[in-house]
Amino acid sequence: MKPTPFEYHRAETTEEAVRLLVECGEEAKVLAGGQSLVPTMNLRLAQPSALIDIAGIGGLAGIAREGGSLRVGATTRQSAVLADPEIAVDAPMVAEALRWVGHEANRNRGTFGGSAAHADPAAEIPAVLVALGADLEITGPRGFRTVPAADFFVSFFTTSIEPDELLTAVRLPSRHGPWAFEEIARRHGDFALVGVAAALVVDEQGIVGACDLVLMGVDDVPWSAQAAQEVVVGNRVTPELAREARAVIESTVEPSSDVHASSCYRSHAAGVLVERALLKATGRKEQG
Amino acid sequence: MTESGGFPYPGGGRFVGARVKRAEDPRLLTGEARYAADIQLPGMLAVAFVRATEAHARIESIDVTEALSLPGAVAVLTAADLDVAPVPLPFEFDGLAAPPQPALARNKVRFLGEPVAVVVAENRYQAEDIADRVRVRYDRLGVVVSPEAARAADAPLLFEDLGTNVLFERTESAGDVEGAFAEAAHVFRKTFHTNRFVACPMEGRGVVAHYEPRADHLKVWSSTQTPFLLRTTLAAVLPYPEHRLQVIVPEVGGGFGAKMSTYPEEVAVAAASLKLGRPLSWIEDRRENLLAANHAKEQQITLELALDTEGQILALRAEHVGDAGAYNFNSTSCLIEPFIGARNLPGVLRLRNYEWTVVSVATNRSPVGAFRAVGSTPGSTTRDAFLDEIARQLGIDVVKFFRKNMIRADEMPYHQATGQVYDSGDYIGSLDQAVELVDYAGFRRRQEEARSEGRYLGIGFSPFVEATGWGSEIAKSQGLPFSSHDNASVSVDPSGMVTVATSMASQGQGHETSFAQVAADVLGVDVATVRVTQGDTDVSPYGMGTFASRSAIIGGGSVLLAAEEVRKKVLAIAAKTLEASAEDLEIADGRVAVKGAPQRGLSYPEVAAIAHWDLGVRSDDDGHRLAATRFYDPPATFSNGCFVALVEVDPELGTVKLEKIVGVEDCGRVINPMIVEGQSHGAVAQAVGGALLEHMVYDENGGLITSTFMDYLLPTALDVPPIEIAHMETLAPHTAGGFKGMGEGGLMSAPGAIVCAVVDALSPFGAVLEELPLGPEQVARMAGSLATEGGHS
Amino acid sequence: MTPPEERIVRIEVNGRPTSALVEPRTLLCDYIRNHVGLTGTNVGCEHGVCGACTVRIDGDIARSCITFAAQVDGGKVETVESIAPSTDELHPIQRAFEAEHGLQCGFCTPGFLITTQALLERNPDPSETEIREFLSGNICRCTGYVGIVNAVKRAARDLRDRGT
Repeated sequence: MKPTPFEYHRAETTEEAVRLLVECGEEAKVLAGGQSLVPTMNLRLAQPSALIDIAGIGGLAGIAREGGSLRVGATTRQSAVLADPEIAVDAPMVAEALRWVGHEANRNRGTFGGSAAHADPAAEIPAVLVALGADLEITGPRGFRTVPAADFFVSFFTTSIEPDELLTAVRLPSRHGPWAFEEIARRHGDFALVGVAAALVVDEQGIVGACDLVLMGVDDVPWSAQAAQEVVVGNRVTPELAREARAVIESTVEPSSDVHASSCYRSHAAGVLVERALLKATGRKEQG
Repeated sequence: MTESGGFPYPGGGRFVGARVKRAEDPRLLTGEARYAADIQLPGMLAVAFVRATEAHARIESIDVTEALSLPGAVAVLTAADLDVAPVPLPFEFDGLAAPPQPALARNKVRFLGEPVAVVVAENRYQAEDIADRVRVRYDRLGVVVSPEAARAADAPLLFEDLGTNVLFERTESAGDVEGAFAEAAHVFRKTFHTNRFVACPMEGRGVVAHYEPRADHLKVWSSTQTPFLLRTTLAAVLPYPEHRLQVIVPEVGGGFGAKMSTYPEEVAVAAASLKLGRPLSWIEDRRENLLAANHAKEQQITLELALDTEGQILALRAEHVGDAGAYNFNSTSCLIEPFIGARNLPGVLRLRNYEWTVVSVATNRSPVGAFRAVGSTPGSTTRDAFLDEIARQLGIDVVKFFRKNMIRADEMPYHQATGQVYDSGDYIGSLDQAVELVDYAGFRRRQEEARSEGRYLGIGFSPFVEATGWGSEIAKSQGLPFSSHDNASVSVDPSGMVTVATSMASQGQGHETSFAQVAADVLGVDVATVRVTQGDTDVSPYGMGTFASRSAIIGGGSVLLAAEEVRKKVLAIAAKTLEASAEDLEIADGRVAVKGAPQRGLSYPEVAAIAHWDLGVRSDDDGHRLAATRFYDPPATFSNGCFVALVEVDPELGTVKLEKIVGVEDCGRVINPMIVEGQSHGAVAQAVGGALLEHMVYDENGGLITSTFMDYLLPTALDVPPIEIAHMETLAPHTAGGFKGMGEGGLMSAPGAIVCAVVDALSPFGAVLEELPLGPEQVARMAGSLATEGGHS
Repeated sequence: MTPPEERIVRIEVNGRPTSALVEPRTLLCDYIRNHVGLTGTNVGCEHGVCGACTVRIDGDIARSCITFAAQVDGGKVETVESIAPSTDELHPIQRAFEAEHGLQCGFCTPGFLITTQALLERNPDPSETEIREFLSGNICRCTGYVGIVNAVKRAARDLRDRGT
């Protein structure tokens, strides 16, 4: 299990990375932490002609406060995000979700942007970005643009990043409302069979003003549970309401089957996790 | 119930029975140990295999032109280039069609992953590039991926010459089964299908072969459990003179049965080195390991049980259908799952009337072979689940049900219906001790309280008896009549240090420590003065090797017998020198002295120096070389014990949290409790994998879906719970030293305990076992949380 | 297929400068094993799941089987060979694994030792759950993790005692 040959380029700047992406063509791939890419290369499922290593680009790693949001550089290691005190305060769901991402050894190499750009629909980070309403910053030969997470994920392992473009940062809005992150995987650290990232806005009376329920492992992108969200918004979260949301999830979600779980189980578990997430999120609010 | 006496030798149990630190550990802890992948020889080349990409097909052509043009290419060898015989069965077995796997596929491939060509290149990266460009044209044939499909009237045949895919079918019986069923108050019947899971040692297979044509010497390093059998087999099939063939076992990173058979790859690499006259290294990667190292554990088992009104078992019928996979290795591998499974199914039950049918069927899947607790994992698991379900239906507590039907200590030796003679042990005592250790009554109270809070706890029991120390007698009693024995040499060198050479080979079991403990106590020396060598056919005497829990008994026994001989020689020399009678001497702490006069004595170095250099002693008797080699083929002996699992289940999501697993094990005299416990712990972890996580899944074309560790799921430290092991010590009455074998009970018995615990936890939902392993979906379904398969809930 | 240009990679391994001319696709584990000649780092799966090949890259544990040597060019790597203070002395973590039977075949052991070292540096008194979670990226097929978890606890105790 050794990879096929490729050219290796280490970019020093974002501009150089973009230039290399243009030069090397569509068979080239961006290498950041490599925790998803290199296994598929060792299995020879991916055979890129060239790798453009962006891990050494100055200024692409690090977390900075920008106005009301936190800007996480694309090559910030997942373990650095997990340990960051500002993330813990302003985006606690990100930290919680990262605990489910692989293991320490993976998070030390894996990057925050890499996980977003890899766009595995069963992965944690993409779902959380959609639930929190994050924005993704992309640079390319045609300049700089920002894409909301909801539009960023296109399909299995496919994003709106063009082949000659580079994800440079993720902007996480500060959200202090109730939240919960629930997941079931075969083992700790495995990709989710199903998971849910729930972020709510609740007023003084306990009425839900906004509700983002984003599921992983049920579609080819992080799946926003529109119908269930509508059930919740405008109401107080009670066990009955959570149960109702669960029923809506089970009747609207259409996951596929694989060797670890059938579509039937995933639908069921998605409902259970959404019910639990709503109760946990609002329970946490009350405690806090 | 403990019959443990002092070890009746000069050491008196100073080392045997003690937690002696392992001699192996310092090199393993520092990276100094050398596994097959660490062997580097000048001019060594790397091997990769071209493997079948079809599960069943005729090979139309193999084009190597482009492949040979790639950088680093040295050779691509196909069956046409390497003319070696397939590895045959070493003994006749009545009624068994045992089609061997050729070293490289010739004309036809029968499973996806079967080796088709050997690629030799400068390094492994290049070898894989080259293998990718070998163009094999296949003409697809129909694929059978289950015994049911393979037994269908119009099924495609793997071996046209046989005219059938059924490799073996036999029914045997003992007692009056029909009569017992006729008078039964209750009859229960159920079919189970166990999951296919694999040994998966952390180190895959590895072979380095180096043929030196002028020296006329073929050296083969292999990560094998059976170096001598490999040597004999290679000599026969290559062919090559056995006395010029040396097999060396380097450090081995786990085996668990999967490195027991001689594999086609071992033959192919040796043959390629013979042909090219170059040292070659093949280090199996994980995908190859999951595709082509032997699979195990899958059986379809139908059980039918007759009971009287009191819940006493009257008779049992069992049908075991094994999926052999595509070929048979030289270990009757295509047969052993259902055959041993059926024979050991009665286990601890007092059973007079038993009828068992064994069927083995060839399919287009990876060949099945040995893996810890061969055959018995599926047998015990289904028996336990079946009895548990019956006890529930009859409203009898399962522990009471077991006690009523288990063999009692006063019935020993016990003649089981299958012909095995259980030599010793207190099976009910083991169960009782387990019941006590887990505070069964207290657990039931805790379970009630938890249920009132909406939490579901469960407990499962699995008492077991384990055929160990496979010598010829037990092999025969298991219905597999092959000769099975080993040798050990013990020698004292001129400086008084002791060397033990054994035909066993270790894959992590700590032979270097355990065997040194035995020799040290028998000789009365410090364990630090004993060194154990193994796994080099040029150094050790001949033997079968390590499998089937035979090392402690046969390895330990042969070391004990050889050391006894050497001790007699030490005494004889000392007696002559000290001018005393040998009977008046005693050995302690490395010194031979006259009883009651310790100053009149000699140290081991002094005795050794006299033996080697004193012309007076030597001219008297040239038999005074301080060395002996002893052969051992032990009588049958059976270990026993009981495993208990405690679980908590989330019935909605179907997740299982193992609280703990408790085991009671009686393996006779314990040589090193630390090592014995470690073996049990490891077996239990594999049981956790088999019960909850591990399953080899194929698609309908014979493609293996679970060919990486992302899909084939091994348990981690979060999946395996705390494990507690308690020892009982009923000395084996007939084996040297009173040793029994061990190490398989955990994988025989703990899977059943886990399964029964999950069923127990979900008993308020009327759960019964339907499908293995118990992933969240299967458990949620058992709990009734999911609608029928495929539909929405 | 023209092989891409080989490149010189320089990595400080266990405090010693090393360099080699390698293909870009050379995995870090193969660089360490074949080019530096340190074979203590074992390779168990080559797709980043089993953890046997775990080393420290610039101080952080990582899988050397899914990292290219070129990515670490200019960096520092520590392997199992760096743990023992001398050839006749074991590190307290190694001694704890020996005392608690935290290894059998030894193949996964280097990865566990490196991971344990990183855990105890960060958390000198980990709970059983913290130990199991931190080690959950390393697979052992022999020990059932009993001896390993006990060894980590013992090593933590010994290192704390030594520190005070």
